[in-house]
Amino acid sequence: MIDTYLFISSIAVTVIGLFTIGFVPSGIKAATNLFFVVITALLTSIPAIHVILNQPLEFTLYNFWFFGDIPIRIDALSAWFILIINLTCINGALYGIGYMKSYSEQKSNLSLHWILFLMFQSSMLWVCVIQHSVGFLIAWEIMSVSSFLLVIFEHDNKKTLKAGINYLVQMHISVAFLTAAFIWAYSATGSFDFKAIGHLFSLSPNIWLFLLFFCGFGIKAGFIPFHSWLPHAHPAAPSHISGVMSGVIVKLGIYGIFRMITFLKQDFMIIGEAILTLSVLSGLYGILNAAVHRDFKRMLAYCTIENIGIIGTGIGMGLIGMATGNSFLIVFGFAGALLHTLNHSLFKSLLFFCAGSIYQQTHTRDMEKLGGLLKRMPQTGILFLLGALAIGGLPPFNGFVSEFILYIGYLEGIKSLDIANSTLMIFSLASLALIGGISILTFTKSFGTIFLGSARTHLDHQPKEVIRVMLIPQYLILAVMISIGLFPQFYFTTVLKTIIPFLPVGSLPTIANFTPMIDIVASIGRNSLIFLGIILLVYLVRKAITRNRPVTVNTTWGCGYTAPTPRIQYTGKSFSKTLGKLFSFITIEQKKYVEIEPEEIFPLERRHSSHYIDFFENKIINGLVKKLVYSMNYFQFVQNGKTQAYVLYGVFFILLIFLCTLFKLI
Amino acid sequence: MLSLLLILLASLFFTGIIIRTKSLASGRKGPGIFQPISDVIRLFKKGAVYSETTTFIFQIAPSIYFASVIMAILVIPFGTTKGIISFNGDFVFFAYVLALGKFLSIISALDTGSSFEGMGASREALYSMFAEPAFFILMGSFALLTGHTSFYDIFNTLHFDSYISYMLAALATFVLIMIGMIENSRMPIDDPKTHLELTMVHEVMILDNSGFDLGLILSASYLKFAMYGALIANFFIDDLSFAIAIPLFFAIQILFAIVVGVLESFMARFRMSHNPQYIFTLSSVALLIFFGVLLVLEKLT
Repeated sequence: MIDTYLFISSIAVTVIGLFTIGFVPSGIKAATNLFFVVITALLTSIPAIHVILNQPLEFTLYNFWFFGDIPIRIDALSAWFILIINLTCINGALYGIGYMKSYSEQKSNLSLHWILFLMFQSSMLWVCVIQHSVGFLIAWEIMSVSSFLLVIFEHDNKKTLKAGINYLVQMHISVAFLTAAFIWAYSATGSFDFKAIGHLFSLSPNIWLFLLFFCGFGIKAGFIPFHSWLPHAHPAAPSHISGVMSGVIVKLGIYGIFRMITFLKQDFMIIGEAILTLSVLSGLYGILNAAVHRDFKRMLAYCTIENIGIIGTGIGMGLIGMATGNSFLIVFGFAGALLHTLNHSLFKSLLFFCAGSIYQQTHTRDMEKLGGLLKRMPQTGILFLLGALAIGGLPPFNGFVSEFILYIGYLEGIKSLDIANSTLMIFSLASLALIGGISILTFTKSFGTIFLGSARTHLDHQPKEVIRVMLIPQYLILAVMISIGLFPQFYFTTVLKTIIPFLPVGSLPTIANFTPMIDIVASIGRNSLIFLGIILLVYLVRKAITRNRPVTVNTTWGCGYTAPTPRIQYTGKSFSKTLGKLFSFITIEQKKYVEIEPEEIFPLERRHSSHYIDFFENKIINGLVKKLVYSMNYFQFVQNGKTQAYVLYGVFFILLIFLCTLFKLI
Repeated sequence: MLSLLLILLASLFFTGIIIRTKSLASGRKGPGIFQPISDVIRLFKKGAVYSETTTFIFQIAPSIYFASVIMAILVIPFGTTKGIISFNGDFVFFAYVLALGKFLSIISALDTGSSFEGMGASREALYSMFAEPAFFILMGSFALLTGHTSFYDIFNTLHFDSYISYMLAALATFVLIMIGMIENSRMPIDDPKTHLELTMVHEVMILDNSGFDLGLILSASYLKFAMYGALIANFFIDDLSFAIAIPLFFAIQILFAIVVGVLESFMARFRMSHNPQYIFTLSSVALLIFFGVLLVLEKLT
């Protein structure tokens, strides 16, 4: 009971917070926001933890306004996402205090920004718990709109505004899909309660209904071909917002898909195979694009698509497990997906925060203009490196744990499934390995270009380490990451509780059944520790032996060339050029330059530029939109700017309604 | 424990045999087979020269690279004797631990800010990336064949009884040798004896390393060779007694080294632009193994 009150009181805290932030002096707005974010997080996390430890929490808001009864259900799945949201939001709010300092003169803008941040957190939390179609859509819409307004903080920059509008439009396409799906469910069952959807799924094969939901949530999550908002919105937003968006908002798409799977009663096989295939392609597409881009925030955005792909492969694997009744596949698929959701929210927000620190100090997002930052910003550099190792799925960090779980799942699938699915699984296994390989290339390139070597361009303002308040949240994230990497069994057992509803009826959902699986996961942590021990041992031996050896410092070997400049360093672009060329049908390069004519004896100064464009956005979506706009031109006469005409439309409409009622058409 | 010792022993003479084979093939007498090891020992005694561009990354990377190879060796079994570490899915851990070492060696090359070293790093990242799927398909196929997911269990339940399975073993040996060559940056992907920085892959990455660190890198690559040799040997050791198994192990290692030497003597390095395609072909060979396994298990009817 106390949990119910705690959860409901969080909304009161949010409302109080909204007003308070508006009235406090602008210097402490960010801190006030943090205060309210933490309070909201506490009020919602305590019930969430209780739910994971004990049983689901369920209560109804009776006769709530015009909605009727709104059922609020917090099961372990919701609780898991609530905890992820809260952790990421607290870190984002803390980091934002430092990041927004340089914008302190924009007082009213800042005020709105922090109010929206609080609203954003609260709306995300409610999305996870409301199980009433209309209420869910309203919370979903508040979340989309508030995040849109957060993205366009620098709204006087045209590019930012354009990216923001792009985001807003795509989010509403997503809402359109969801609304259509919910209306379908409502008209078939006459109830707004989510339970009705479960009922509907059990009646007849409703694969199209699931497809509608998947499209709606998939746009939010960023599966290809619905991903094109991500690479625009993430670079445009302030970094703490990108961190939170990439960390959690795309995960709510994943939450939605998971929620719908809990209602799904049949067609597991075909949906599972489709999601698995789409996810593998998303993963490969995302990481290939990430490898070639030079804007480091855009690189991170594409990398998010890759990770959503990895999460999706887990979901697909779990669904195939549900179809064949193989509980091992269900556990490893869904557990891998949910654990990777947490992991990705951690290292991606860490990397976005590092990116924000770099941007704040250098005012550029182009990695080719940077270099040698590790000497100037050592802490940010180390944090970025550790984040990069984690996102590449390398031991002893957390990314490896979830990828390992997925690998084990694939191997189980290869062994136990029929030939078609076994082949699908081995292709997914190889793709995951390839994704891992490309992400190593991507992050060695990014880290190497930004932090290593020497500075490629002269910066007017010498970058220095960012202030402590921006580093603290990053160390917090790092601590959680390492704890997952070394003690994965704790997190794995927690995730197991969230996937019990997916297991076939009849198998006893006690933790004892999972002991062999937990042992496998625990062995990663143990061996990662051994690995760390060996690294330390080798390093200490090296240190002890070389302590008294002479050390000379000299210039880098340049093949005898004695006048090296920073410009001769290998660039990030050339680092990934071979890969981009091999996959040039996906990573399309556009070059702009003027050829030298044969008769041009003394060529003038000229420019050469090249950038990579998004295949889906430029080849498919833009083409479709162009055709759509073209046909819409014929209806332009309707919108003619004359008030009289608009009044006439109104009259027509009323007349139409009148006639329809008269003839009992509606 | 046994496998660790044997691999350490084999690594002492492995590279020496390659060099000796190459010398004999080109009509020279060549250095003794322990020359590479005494080179490393000499390096261990030396001081170091660091580039002024480098940071601490450059100094810790060789140690981590070396540690990653040691860690990878720990999971390799020897016949019916387990490796020091053995758990379900340990080959995934094996591949990822090696990848961590590779990550560090790549960024340590980038740390020097040299144009050549960046080039080598970029190539190394690309080639090892393409080799990953082949290894995973290979191990996935054996997981399917044996129903186990750890090196030890796979090698212990692996028995060759039909013609197809002999073919599978031959193909698997080929894939492993090739992966070993790619991972060690040898022919036909990379020529360790090339003299031009522009055409090097691995050699150019370690141009600025010296002293103890260079010794670590070199000994890590000797160990890596012996490690892949041990993997190949495991295909054939089965449950033989130590009296036969241990000599067989060394015979396979020596044979592997001679094969590498002969390959390097009579083959030219591929054009850089052909390397990715070539490496990717390995994945299709690995897929052949997968389909062969499906045949053996009569899943493919």
